[in-house]
Amino acid sequence: MAHPETLDRLVRRVAAQVRWRRAEHHALRGAFWASLPAVVVIALKGPIGPRAIAIAAALVVGGVLAGALWGVLKRTADADAARLADRAFGLEDRVATALEWAERPDRTPLVEALVRDATARVSALSPRTIVRRIVPREARFLPVPVLAVLVLALAPPVPMPSGRLPDFTPGTEEEEKEARTGSGELEQRAPRENRDPLRPPSFEEREFAARSGAASASTAGDLSAVFKDTSLSSQRPDFNSFLKKGDERLKLLEQVDRLPDLASDFTASQYKMVFKKSKALSSGMRPNDISPKKLKELLEEMERLGRKGGNWNSDVGEGMEALEGGQTDKAMEAMQKALDKMRAQEEAQRGGKGLRGGRDNDRSGGGRERGRGEGGGAEDQDFGDGEGLLPGKGKSNSPKGEASRRLQASPYDVGVEGESRRGRKDGYDTNMTGRGGQMGSRLQYLGVIGQYRKMMEDAITRESVPRDYHEQIKDYFQALDER
Amino acid sequence: MTQDARVQEFVTAFDGLRAEVEKVIVGHREIITHVLVGMFAGGHVLLEGVPGLGKTLLVKTLSESLELSFARIQFTPDLMPADIIGTNIIVEDSEGRKHFQFQPGPIFAHVVLADEINRATPKTQSALLEGMQEASVTVGGASRPLPAPFFVLATQNPIEMEGTYPLPEAQLDRFLLKLRVRYPAIEELNAIIDRTTHAHPVSVERVMSGAKVMAFRELIREVPVASHVRDFASGIVMATHPQWADAPDVTRRFVRYGASPRGAQALILGAKVRALAEGRYNVSVDDLKALAAPALRHRVILNFEGEAEGIDVDNLVSQIVDGVEASSARTKEPFLR
Repeated sequence: MAHPETLDRLVRRVAAQVRWRRAEHHALRGAFWASLPAVVVIALKGPIGPRAIAIAAALVVGGVLAGALWGVLKRTADADAARLADRAFGLEDRVATALEWAERPDRTPLVEALVRDATARVSALSPRTIVRRIVPREARFLPVPVLAVLVLALAPPVPMPSGRLPDFTPGTEEEEKEARTGSGELEQRAPRENRDPLRPPSFEEREFAARSGAASASTAGDLSAVFKDTSLSSQRPDFNSFLKKGDERLKLLEQVDRLPDLASDFTASQYKMVFKKSKALSSGMRPNDISPKKLKELLEEMERLGRKGGNWNSDVGEGMEALEGGQTDKAMEAMQKALDKMRAQEEAQRGGKGLRGGRDNDRSGGGRERGRGEGGGAEDQDFGDGEGLLPGKGKSNSPKGEASRRLQASPYDVGVEGESRRGRKDGYDTNMTGRGGQMGSRLQYLGVIGQYRKMMEDAITRESVPRDYHEQIKDYFQALDER
Repeated sequence: MTQDARVQEFVTAFDGLRAEVEKVIVGHREIITHVLVGMFAGGHVLLEGVPGLGKTLLVKTLSESLELSFARIQFTPDLMPADIIGTNIIVEDSEGRKHFQFQPGPIFAHVVLADEINRATPKTQSALLEGMQEASVTVGGASRPLPAPFFVLATQNPIEMEGTYPLPEAQLDRFLLKLRVRYPAIEELNAIIDRTTHAHPVSVERVMSGAKVMAFRELIREVPVASHVRDFASGIVMATHPQWADAPDVTRRFVRYGASPRGAQALILGAKVRALAEGRYNVSVDDLKALAAPALRHRVILNFEGEAEGIDVDNLVSQIVDGVEASSARTKEPFLR
């Protein structure tokens, strides 16, 4: 079989283009990195002398040449060049396939036809540069060191430090007098600033940190950040008054539950964000003295949120009117109504995930309805706060009837009560009462949920579940998993 | 005959066969092409589409264009395996002696249309498995070869899922390609109306023999594939596996099981046919990209999240192909390596 000379020539031509582009690319990189020491050399032209310019120029030229040489000498695989040619000339992998198969011992009769076809197509091509130029990232910053070299070359030598301290001895009698007076004041002031020998140094440091924190913005690690969202943020700490009646900050720190929770992200929920602000408004240092200005700001914010699709703007409007009429209590009531609506809407939007909240409203009928949102029915109210579908609780599909009723009916039956806590949990410790009370057991909540989830995944992919239900099923298991 | 002439003969035969089918079938040019690709590659094709889009008509027309025997099996829930592969029956000879005689089922035809294949029970569906893979069936302990060429074209309806038995993965994997028949455009619909309500029905000529089909199948296997093209096919198939270390994020997130090695075989064989049908002597990367969705869409099994999110497997495969192309050496600038 004839060797595909034409194809080889094409590949060699492309490889040469590749080498040339590589040389350009690496020469630019070399110029950049060599110009950095050149800047240093030019900056030191004072001590180095007139040779500095020549050395800098040699460095830059050397960098360019080294880069170009590196680019030229890098090996280019024929297969890469052939693929590049195929792509650039639209040859649909003919050249690469022909070159690869022409030398193979297991070539098929079609390979010869392929080589002929590829050769004919390549012969019809007009040679052109197909390898595009790739400018290295460093080239964008190249003007900076080059400009620095030029400026430093033209500028006078940079004065170098001589290694001695500056001379601070007074030159005139007046300066000498001023110096003497100043030193006297320092000597007089020094005893006033003497540290208390009884106070430990750590205490002094804390005091210093607190004062500097009050005067300027809080910095990382500054404990004063915890007061950021409280009324104390704008007050300076007064440790003199602390000795008499106690510092408000320390009092606040003792009430841990009233401090803002810096770890939780309230911005994820509009309701939580507004609720937190309203709570801060009514439970500050003086809960009965609510600032109408702050209340107005909060109502305005709720109105702004309501314009994005909320249904609480009428209540907010009532609150604003009441506030203008000086009826703060009425305004607070209207704000509470608006908050309830906001929560109900957010619960409704979350759909099946809003399983929590039944106990927030004291388990009273009306409170439940409000807490469960608009979509919550009476049947759903068995979900307690932090409780799941515990054995013996909730609506049961068992043909035997609800477990709880059976328990009431028969004193010898076994009741299972679960102990739960908030948040994600590994399992329920089940306290057995009655006959089974002798034997402790543990229900692996996550394990069971995991198994059911897997079964659900299998079932939903194997059997035909309407697509509309997929999201609901997923949400349901997601909600279970989050518990 | 020179190689050029052989290839030219194939191109002419391929175009001629397609033209015959297009006498009856309006539009669906890509579907027709892929059906022919499946036939010449020696595989079987699954056609999926809502009723009335001409799936069965396409297969019937194709069989009428070939000088091959044709059998149609309408799959129903009460269809039994023996109804497909045949059974031994007692016959009496001239001397009055009784003996068993094998009565071949409809599977013993060159072109078999398995219409609405997902309506039969898995047991009956699996009766096709051996025939599709081994080109032979075993009845009463005796293996009986099927006629060559043997080509199964199955149809299924994706929307009426009630009372159906979705094909298991093992059965799906037997199909070289799965084609989705889309609804026609308005111009095509007008042409369908004109053509099918005309007084004189269109007649189709038989343009290709079974021997020719077999000869072309041999020719197709001679088409060379460059190593980087083969690597590209392997990369696509591997990228459908969520367990693979370099699997793209979209695969890890939405795929439960990836394509089997049969997927890579289907890609390469289909690409060979496509290349030769275009008069090209080699497989290109573009051939693989064109065949990726038909060859892999039924081999990529979505997980729960993928099903719940309503992920379209075609889009998924397309993203995988794009990802593999971006990361393969083909798209990297070779002179910077």
